[in-house]
Amino acid sequence: MNQHAPETLLEFADVTFRYPDGNIGLDGCSLRIARGSRNALIGANGAGKTTLFQHANGLLRPQGGTIRYAGQPIDYSRAGLRRLRSEVGLVFQNPDQQLFSASVREDVSFGPLNLGLDTDTVRQRVAKALRAVGMDKLSDRPVHNLSFGQKKRVCIAGVLAMEPQLLVLDEPMAGLDHAMRQELLAVLDDLHARGITLLLATHDIDFAYRWTDRIHLIAAGACAASFATPELPQHADALTAAGMPVPGIVELHRLLCQQGHPAFAAAPTAPRSVGELITLLNQGKDS
Amino acid sequence: MLIEQCAYGNRWRAVSPAAKGLFALGGFIAAFAAGQPKAALTAAGLITLVAVTGAGVPLSRFTRIALPPLGFLLVGCLSLALSLGWTTDAQQGQELVVRWLPDGWEPILNLAGRSIGALAALLFLAATTPLTDLIALLRRLHLPEVLLELMVLCYRMLFVFSESVHDTRTAQAARLGYAAPRLALRSLGSLAGNLTVQIWQRAHALHVAAQSRNNDGPLRFLEPEYANAGRDLALAGAGAAVLIGIALVLS
Repeated sequence: MNQHAPETLLEFADVTFRYPDGNIGLDGCSLRIARGSRNALIGANGAGKTTLFQHANGLLRPQGGTIRYAGQPIDYSRAGLRRLRSEVGLVFQNPDQQLFSASVREDVSFGPLNLGLDTDTVRQRVAKALRAVGMDKLSDRPVHNLSFGQKKRVCIAGVLAMEPQLLVLDEPMAGLDHAMRQELLAVLDDLHARGITLLLATHDIDFAYRWTDRIHLIAAGACAASFATPELPQHADALTAAGMPVPGIVELHRLLCQQGHPAFAAAPTAPRSVGELITLLNQGKDS
Repeated sequence: MLIEQCAYGNRWRAVSPAAKGLFALGGFIAAFAAGQPKAALTAAGLITLVAVTGAGVPLSRFTRIALPPLGFLLVGCLSLALSLGWTTDAQQGQELVVRWLPDGWEPILNLAGRSIGALAALLFLAATTPLTDLIALLRRLHLPEVLLELMVLCYRMLFVFSESVHDTRTAQAARLGYAAPRLALRSLGSLAGNLTVQIWQRAHALHVAAQSRNNDGPLRFLEPEYANAGRDLALAGAGAAVLIGIALVLS
């Protein structure tokens, strides 16, 4: 093994899970999440994303295969699950599924109090988590008077207050307008800068290509491909097979290269965003 | 919703709910200690004055909140004003008799005065204190956990389901679900059925979400802190004593 390879924080090895009604949740799913990385889990509806997330948090137990956290197989005892859930925070897709209390501050305190922390520590953690998601000014507002995006941020704060190493977000951008997405993205950038490992499910392939370090494709409960995000153009077939489109910027870059655009003669690697593409085009014009 | 708006938007939002609760309790005691209707009504007037000038609850809103319970009170008073009974007549036998004010105005006025006083005290608390603060206060007063958890979840879900009802009703109305009485009845039935399923699903989802945050039974929340809680409590105690004193003096 390469000495400089990043440490694996979470590993699924050939994990299978079937729901009681016979539906396949996971079918021989294997993937690795490196510590400190930003990961996107991409797949069509019903591909097994939420099932995988619930396994990561210990809510579901695999019927086959192994899940390792920080190199150790998950311990499903009461104490083991308690440890795991304090390390792996799960943010659900629908905020109303996660928010218990009508008070923002109360709800954020729910997780750390469950960890058995003393009141002063919980108070500090709640304040820190609300600051981290930019909700400290709205902590006295009732949850039902918050916007959808603000509710999502409260959900993230509720998990952050437990100080997890790995934050798992189930379709965090779903239902958010552009401004709310940008706000949430700034929060996620900040968390990543603090060293928190991020794993999020998304249907937005353009966003995943622009923002993440690694992409995992899931189809019919199995991890169809797992690659470093810059290598995405080489996995276009896997994306198509998983029912996902190729990012628009990759298509555009391929077309410009085919047409022999001078800007890309020296930089054959596809840009990750429209901004990068424009920079390359301007450089080609100047040279 | 009107109570919610007042509770979250008044000047005394950050005042300790214990202090507001003590003042309201003083109002209750004053209303019941009042021997004369004028004493109870004076207490009610003072409590309303405190809510309007002190907490900044608009009088029009306070009155609108008070109207439905006052309507119930009116019906209660009417039932006291009328009395049904049977008279025994040697020649004509038993006869149903309706009497107007059998005991005069006094018991009705006493009841109305006390009820209005108690209502003012209760509305003062409801219009100045959000339910989340009240639940936190009840937790400090060691109300059984199971009741508190039910209150927390019911209060939260009230808004989730009211939104759901609104969305479903709108979707039904958009497809002419309420265009005729027969259709309306059918739509209402399916709305209730849909909501029942949603309640089961939400309950399961909340259980899973609680587990994911390490919950193992009771729902624990952080108690809010209030600056100057001691001072507010002393002031509320003094206010409550004044209310009770006035009620006793005027009786």
